[in-house]
Amino acid sequence: MTPAVRFAGVSRHFGPVRAVDNVNMEIAEGEFFAMLGPSGSGKTTCLRLIGGFDQPTAGKIEIFGVPTAGVPPYRRHVNTVFQDYALFPHLNVRDNVAYGLMVAGRPKPERYRAAEEALEMVALPGYGLRKPSELSGGQRQRVALARALVNRPRVLLLDEPLGALDLKLREAMQEELKALQRRLGITFVFVTHDQTEALSMADRVAVFNEGRIVQVGTPQDIYYRPRVPFVARFVGSSNVLPPEVTERVAGRHVHAAVRPEALRLGAEGLAATVLSTAFHGAATRVALEAEGGLRLVALLPKGVEVPQEGACVHVTWAREDLHLMTEAGA
Amino acid sequence: MNPILKSCTALIAAGALAGQALAAEMLTEIGPGEGQLDIVAWPGYIERGETDPAFDWVTKFEEATGCKVQVKTANTSDEMVALMNEGGFDLVTASGDASLRLIAGKRVQPINISLIPSWDTIDDRLKNAPWHTVNGVHYGVPYMWGPNVLMYNSEAFGDSPPSSWNVVFEEMTLPDGKSNKGRIEAYDGPIYIADAALYLMYHRPELGIKSPYELNQEQYNAALDLLRQQRKLVARYWHDAFIQIDDFKNEGIVASGSWPFQVNLLQAEGFPVASTIPVEGATGWADTTMMHVDAAHPNCAYMWMEHTLSSNLQSDLSVWFGANPSVPAACSDGRGMQTPEGCRKNGFDDFDKIHFWQTPVSNCPSQGSCVPYYRWVSDYIGVIGGR
Amino acid sequence: MSAVVDPAPAGLRARIADALWRRPGLTIFLLLTPPALWLGIVYLGSLFALLLQSFYSIDEFSGMIVREFTLKSYRELFTPANIDIIIRTVVMASLVTVAAALVGFPIAYFAARYARGRWKALFYLGVMLPLWSSYLVKIYAWKLILAKEGILGWLFETLHLSWLLEAYLSLPVLGGNSLSVSWTGTFLVFLYVWLPFMVLPTQAALERVPVSFLEASSDLGARPAQTFRHVLLPLALPGVVAGSIFTFSLTLGDYIIPQIIGTSRFFLGQAVYSYQGTAGNIPLAAAFTVVPIVIMGFYLWFAKRMGAFDAL
Repeated sequence: MTPAVRFAGVSRHFGPVRAVDNVNMEIAEGEFFAMLGPSGSGKTTCLRLIGGFDQPTAGKIEIFGVPTAGVPPYRRHVNTVFQDYALFPHLNVRDNVAYGLMVAGRPKPERYRAAEEALEMVALPGYGLRKPSELSGGQRQRVALARALVNRPRVLLLDEPLGALDLKLREAMQEELKALQRRLGITFVFVTHDQTEALSMADRVAVFNEGRIVQVGTPQDIYYRPRVPFVARFVGSSNVLPPEVTERVAGRHVHAAVRPEALRLGAEGLAATVLSTAFHGAATRVALEAEGGLRLVALLPKGVEVPQEGACVHVTWAREDLHLMTEAGA
Repeated sequence: MNPILKSCTALIAAGALAGQALAAEMLTEIGPGEGQLDIVAWPGYIERGETDPAFDWVTKFEEATGCKVQVKTANTSDEMVALMNEGGFDLVTASGDASLRLIAGKRVQPINISLIPSWDTIDDRLKNAPWHTVNGVHYGVPYMWGPNVLMYNSEAFGDSPPSSWNVVFEEMTLPDGKSNKGRIEAYDGPIYIADAALYLMYHRPELGIKSPYELNQEQYNAALDLLRQQRKLVARYWHDAFIQIDDFKNEGIVASGSWPFQVNLLQAEGFPVASTIPVEGATGWADTTMMHVDAAHPNCAYMWMEHTLSSNLQSDLSVWFGANPSVPAACSDGRGMQTPEGCRKNGFDDFDKIHFWQTPVSNCPSQGSCVPYYRWVSDYIGVIGGR
Repeated sequence: MSAVVDPAPAGLRARIADALWRRPGLTIFLLLTPPALWLGIVYLGSLFALLLQSFYSIDEFSGMIVREFTLKSYRELFTPANIDIIIRTVVMASLVTVAAALVGFPIAYFAARYARGRWKALFYLGVMLPLWSSYLVKIYAWKLILAKEGILGWLFETLHLSWLLEAYLSLPVLGGNSLSVSWTGTFLVFLYVWLPFMVLPTQAALERVPVSFLEASSDLGARPAQTFRHVLLPLALPGVVAGSIFTFSLTLGDYIIPQIIGTSRFFLGQAVYSYQGTAGNIPLAAAFTVVPIVIMGFYLWFAKRMGAFDAL
């Protein structure tokens, strides 16, 4: 099957800065695909390359098998939900949503009907005559979504769409977005720096670092089986053991990751000092320093005894919880 | 304040004024200088060598009298009247359309001519001129005068220089074979209606025009008709001497009413222009040094008025400004740069052909009821606008 | 133990500061009183004095101002010659405004979207430079450029295009004996002199339009022309309208440029100038000044109706 989006050796350099550096990826049709990474990692640039707002300096991008070199944004059947929503302040909500149909020359009744349908889909029926300035952040986000969806795009690009919302609203929207994507079956490409968001929503996640994709996989893959220490640290803040330590505990000279919730404090294992403890409700977070200055974090479930700060403890874990990372890299 | 009104009241009040004027305090003796003198003057009228070191008629006066001269320049007669109304000045170089207003408004005082030893050297034609003498009382000392000449491009006219204003009023083919249409200029001020009236005075005597500044409705209409005809020929209406100079150089203008000032400057640059006072005569201007009624430095003021007549001022200023001295001797006695030839060029011998500017008023002496100046203004705007 | 608050100050200045802090209303009152007095007395006062003058009249016979209420000056305002002046001025102001918007918009757009760093500085310099040098010097310079034997004429001659200039100058109304005595000349100089007043507010408005709006429009399928028509122009409109208020009102009131460049036919400002000056017909001059005030009133009303101020 032709992938919805395919990157082949794509680079985007701004002078000496390699914003995107030799990226290869395929996004399948109907997939909810997240691009995850810290700011400046190249994920947003990749999104802009798909949207056509920027051109790659090298490589090839195909959308449903069609090369996109030199194709302007307005000829791509791809729509975007912008980070700042980019709602036109001089148009009311209905005209904003119907904008794509208006420039396509569709008659007024048709585009108003379509706009109202799109607004119903994002749970904002009857908001058509308001101005964007009269809406809350969450409502604007929905209008932006409706405006992008009204064109029936083959691929929907979302640039950190939930970044500006408060926590509660964000969680609600995550579920809604996910449900909407399931219902419409449109390919979603989602950019975020929030690993929880990426893991909870996406079918697959691409982790970006310094212009490159360091790992692509299902959320489970990314979470439990990071291939490089960067992924382990960035996604779920795993403890990363340097090769010397791994060699001692597991006999192989590679980096290894172990999740905080997998650490146990016991009578034997790695000796460490308790630096601090913090109560997190369902668990208690314990920061430790092992020999050689190695920092570790343990999440102790309710009921387990919490050591005093400064206490000497031994850290251990189940063998299957130690994930060896076969690839080198930071 | 409305300047025209004053000139109207001037004539009405003139009789009463004369008696009072003599009663007003007139200086009978010149005391020591007060160390300062404030003059309102036209730009270029009072030079102390700062623009051109050769033209300086102030420094010596200051050295001799200890009166420090301070000049405030004014660009229109109205501005001069306004400054004099404000006060704080001793003297003003008033033109004919301001002098009577100042007299009527009692802003200037009568002059005791016995305190001005050189009074007798003044041109007899100017001594009792009506723009500064009311009922035999002198309100100032004549300063400079000049005609509004017909300036023309001597190449375009070749061997047959113009002798009539018709080259700027009637469409015709000039000696260079081209029409005068689009190649002439006219003055951009309502007073120019008088130039048209002067032309009609000569060519249509049946209208009965006696003075180009005193027109009844019929005469006035005839003048406007002539100007409407002229509008079709005029490339630009000028009021700035330097714009006109530029137009003769760069716009292909070949004939226009003008001042000797522009003629002299263009000739000095070697540009082929000449000027004439045509058979119809010409309009002109005459300025008078007048003294403020509350002058703070009357002794210096009298010394200056004497200085204007007796020093190099008359001679050098007439060269500088392209005007005529009010002291005929200044043309020939070598006290300054002027020469008899220069005076002749500036129109010194044509005094009788010149009708000096004055403000048209409703109750005019020659016919009782004339079209007043404010109508000249609105109608001339209409003429320029093509109405 | 350290003090929790500083003791109440003793100095007068400090006490005044405290008092103003506690009563922000007083601060605002003190700040606004001088400008309000200035506006109220000097500006509005003179405006009303002017309006009052326009309802007086000048006595035909004596030329004296008659201080009785009459509409005579306004009747005089509507004589054909004066109507000509009004129409001429309004048409010129409208043309200059439209042209300034057309010429100014691309310049402003370039400055707002593309110019960075040194180019931006160069842009400001280029736009502002005409404002630094004397207005009169610039107009005289233009006279030299436009003169019959001036720079433009020379340029056309060098390019063997004199026939083109001649053909243009032979057009009725637009042409004339030379560019410097034609309407075209007046128009060009007006356009040059007032252009910065159009460019700067337009550029400020364009700079406030985020790039993402243009990208969103393009993303939704709008061709560049559609993006311009439906997004950029409506959002830049307040700036263009602000600029047009400048160019329109400045052209409406100017009396220097048409004196030096053009056909010598009067504009509103010149009419006011000569009626209040040598003519002493202050009532008519006052009636004339009411004309641009009324026209600007209509202009602002119309601009508001067009929604030019909605985005403010």
